[in-house]
Amino acid sequence: MEFKDYYKILGVSADAEAQEIKTAYRKLARKYHPDMNPDEGAEEKFKEVAEAYEVLKDKGRRAKFDDLRKYGRQSAGGFEPPPGWQAKRSTGFENEFQFDNQFSDFFNSIFGGGAFQQAHFNGHSQQRQFRGEDVETDLAVFLEETLHQQIKTVAYQLPVYDGKTVRHIKKHLNVKIPQGVSDGERIRLKGQGKPGHGGGEAGDLYLHIRLVPHPLFDVQGADLILTLPVAPWEAALGAKVTVPTLEGSINLTIAPNSQSGKKLRIKGKGLKRKAVTGDLYAILKVIMPPTSNDEANQLWRKLAEINAFDPRTEWGERK
Amino acid sequence: MKRTLSIISLSELCQLENIENEVIIEIVEYGIVKPVEDSETADWEFETSSVYWIKKAVQLYQDFEIDWLAVALLIELMQQRDSLRKENEFFNNSLNAFCNIKYTRWNNLATMPANIYLI
Repeated sequence: MEFKDYYKILGVSADAEAQEIKTAYRKLARKYHPDMNPDEGAEEKFKEVAEAYEVLKDKGRRAKFDDLRKYGRQSAGGFEPPPGWQAKRSTGFENEFQFDNQFSDFFNSIFGGGAFQQAHFNGHSQQRQFRGEDVETDLAVFLEETLHQQIKTVAYQLPVYDGKTVRHIKKHLNVKIPQGVSDGERIRLKGQGKPGHGGGEAGDLYLHIRLVPHPLFDVQGADLILTLPVAPWEAALGAKVTVPTLEGSINLTIAPNSQSGKKLRIKGKGLKRKAVTGDLYAILKVIMPPTSNDEANQLWRKLAEINAFDPRTEWGERK
Repeated sequence: MKRTLSIISLSELCQLENIENEVIIEIVEYGIVKPVEDSETADWEFETSSVYWIKKAVQLYQDFEIDWLAVALLIELMQQRDSLRKENEFFNNSLNAFCNIKYTRWNNLATMPANIYLI
């Protein structure tokens, strides 16, 4: 067992006042909390800091830790508690925190688990059964798949504790994904999370829906945006073009003299949500032919001669 | 075939996640999540997407030892950040599709390409 010096972890001296410990914890929590710091290793560091604070903020636990720190000794085989010292196991909660994975072996061996309860949040702290933790996994969903209810195979890993070590097992589930799921939504699968202990039920699995970026369509709310390339003469004279949608293609009429950037709305061809169906917007983008020839150039010249058009009038007079 | 659920009741939520009723009521009062329908507390139901934020709120409350008002502000900012990121990604994609240029953030005028800078 590795000894953890909780004072060192919080960067305070062994005679630090409670307020000093609190301040040190808060500074470190601000620095390493996974919601504040996405760096790799920050979460591990935060867990260590939280564990140290859990012990040092409580008078009883701190006194027990102080004894152990004073009388135990470090040997080649790791940390040895003082002779005669035995972890106090209270009320049969022995394995709660080993399963929970929240605190270190060192913490569990001193405080067993029963000593620590999640204060007022834990309305069921007297139960001996423990429900398994919830698990969350990302599920990639293509835009096309959101239009109808889909059956998808979800693959994820579950840590399983066999009494000695934690193994990861791969699980596969066939899941009905409802129509109209949106990016970032979380849907729940009852009892498919981590297994429970002592007859407790399994946790749940949450599927975090991530819409796969589409090569043609961008998503904005329930609407889809498509860039529609047109030739200059199509924009000038108008045209009938075939436009892809998520379900087959449709014909679209481009009005004569259409501007690049013009938005055409195709009603009801966006994403289908529970309450609404979005629209598809095609945005015109005038594309010049990549090459030209003498004949075409002559025609362009003629166009230039007969048009008194200056696209840069807004800039004013320039020399 | 596994059935997915998109709604969870208050009582089930409290029981499963070991969170007390009063805590959920605080979380709703501070607007961190809201029930699907405005009904009597005992009949509250939540979207399963809200469970993530409820658990996050409890975690922040405990980890930072801050009050619910601060938790609510923190979560609102987190959600705002997420949606701004999404929006930014959308505008980046649109810009790329339309201009065929890779958008680069110009940190100062000196690094801006001359043709844009001089207009």
